Amino acid sequence: MSLRTRRTWSLLGLLTAPSAFLLCFFLCPLVLMLIYSFLTPGLYGGVEWEFFHLNYGRILGWADTKYERFDPVFLIIFLRSLRLAALTVLTCLVISYPAAFWISRMPPARRNFALFLVTLPFFVSLIVRLFAWVLILRPTGFLNQGLMGVGLTSEPLEFLYTDFAVVVGMTYVFIPFTFLPLYASIEKLDTAQIEASFDLGATRVQTFGKVILPATLPGIAAGAVITFIPALGNFIVPSVLGGAKVVMIGNLIEQQFLSARNWPFGSALAMLVMAAVLVLLIVQLRLARRQDVP
Amino acid sequence: MTRTTMLLGAVLGLVPLAASAEGELTLYNWGDYINPAILEKFTEETGIAVTLDTYGSNEEMLAKIQAGATGYDIVFPSVHMHDIMFQLDLLAETNIGAHPDFGNIDPQFIRARTDPDATYCLPYAWGNVGIVYNKAEAGEITGWEDFFALGDAGKKIILLDDLRETIGIGHIMNGTSVNSTDEAEITAAAQYIVDRIGGVSAFSYDSIPLVTSGDVAAAHWYVGANIFVAENPDILGYVIPKEGATMYQEDMCVLKSAPNYDNAVKFLEFYLRPEIAALNVEQQMNGTPNIPAQDLIPAEIASNGTIYPAADVMDKLQIFEDLGRDLQLYNSEWTRIKTAQ
Repeated sequence: MSLRTRRTWSLLGLLTAPSAFLLCFFLCPLVLMLIYSFLTPGLYGGVEWEFFHLNYGRILGWADTKYERFDPVFLIIFLRSLRLAALTVLTCLVISYPAAFWISRMPPARRNFALFLVTLPFFVSLIVRLFAWVLILRPTGFLNQGLMGVGLTSEPLEFLYTDFAVVVGMTYVFIPFTFLPLYASIEKLDTAQIEASFDLGATRVQTFGKVILPATLPGIAAGAVITFIPALGNFIVPSVLGGAKVVMIGNLIEQQFLSARNWPFGSALAMLVMAAVLVLLIVQLRLARRQDVP
Repeated sequence: MTRTTMLLGAVLGLVPLAASAEGELTLYNWGDYINPAILEKFTEETGIAVTLDTYGSNEEMLAKIQAGATGYDIVFPSVHMHDIMFQLDLLAETNIGAHPDFGNIDPQFIRARTDPDATYCLPYAWGNVGIVYNKAEAGEITGWEDFFALGDAGKKIILLDDLRETIGIGHIMNGTSVNSTDEAEITAAAQYIVDRIGGVSAFSYDSIPLVTSGDVAAAHWYVGANIFVAENPDILGYVIPKEGATMYQEDMCVLKSAPNYDNAVKFLEFYLRPEIAALNVEQQMNGTPNIPAQDLIPAEIASNGTIYPAADVMDKLQIFEDLGRDLQLYNSEWTRIKTAQ
């Protein structure tokens, strides 16, 4: 067996398992959702196998029957979700970037401990951690008591059940997702390049803008995308910290599958999210490619 | 069955680890909706090992059963879901209505339209949905008007995150049926809530701790709030709104796919006994359709007008029926409520 065929075989062997995994647990459910989104809703959940285009008509504008009527509210909720997810990404980046710098410059033992701390929240149930935030943000909670204690405000401020609470909660949940890819690219940063920049007379701001930022851009992009995608579809945080009053697209989808018993419409809404994610991934891929070709 | 699948089954709550010679029984019930002492007593008496798995809504249970979940013997659907499950052919005949002890059951609780002789299911428990309030923050409120007035006065109120319960309040205030399928009536009922949305701080089931701490003045909640009122009688109160309210009832049904049909019927018969039904009320603080059981429950529960309302209050309680396709009308209005600011 030549080296070449052996390489082909080993590649095939290595790729079969992950491909099968992706096919079973990613592609199949996705295709199922796509098909469901074009079917007639069953009376008690499920679907009837009959083509139906009004699921998309309700979102995009041509549905006008008693039960399926166009309502701009779905697109409004979608835009709101995009905005909240983008805000979450921004906050995560602003917090993670300096933290990643700081941790990457620590001595190895402390660095490993710090990285362990970043992943520590994963050891506790998400729901429990979100209820802890309810205790912090409620009117008689720690945050308001602290603010009133130092005299910054005399009346408790409205934090819980607002957009603010949702962004805080999602930032808290997704920081490790932003942090880890950022850390990976910041750790690889070549200090010689930074020193060279200083030697050639660049200021700190110039060095950051022209050397450090471009070199860590792939990490920023990866961290942003990997945070944005789950944040866009999140429904637990808006439900617990937004009091289900700050509705995101994820809540709307959940509602269709459970209390509204309209699986095809839920699938159509999910396809909307998929389309947004796909566009984002294509943009990121383009950016990454441009990065490779100097 | 291999060890791995056994373990997997145990993790999923499908295989009781303490399986005994007398067999097994698996209940699929709402969370915290049966006194654990009853299950222990049943095992003690019959030697049948009972496993309990829980769900959070009728739809969640139905979706799981429809998706082909097997291993469950008994489920506890609300009356309208009982009707739906009958139509989907998911329920097994038990002839519980012909059992000599069935005379214990108050006939007004045989509510499912598809099961007029209780050939399938046993009426299990019932209660109303009213208002739990913080006495210091809300004062002694009596109904929905007072409730929403709190919101207008800048206090915080919370509604249930449930489309039919919440739009139902609008129906009650407009004098229309909570089961209305008239588009104009549904829109008007939803508008009632939209007009008061500024005062509503959230839609949630987790309001009790916030009402207890005074962060929220009052919340739309179930009669089970009496459990918390009993713990903090100086702080909390529960009221059935004077304008009217909704009520719910769950029935105990055996699934067609039940692996332990005989044990399941045994459990239904066991639950017909007054002392068993009373044992449940003692811990759950809700209503039982078992008439002789009502003499056995603690006096403070039996005399509590919010748990066992007087006949004139009972008349103002409406129960949800299945709306079929018309549920979509509520669904659209619900989205409108959720996005109104």
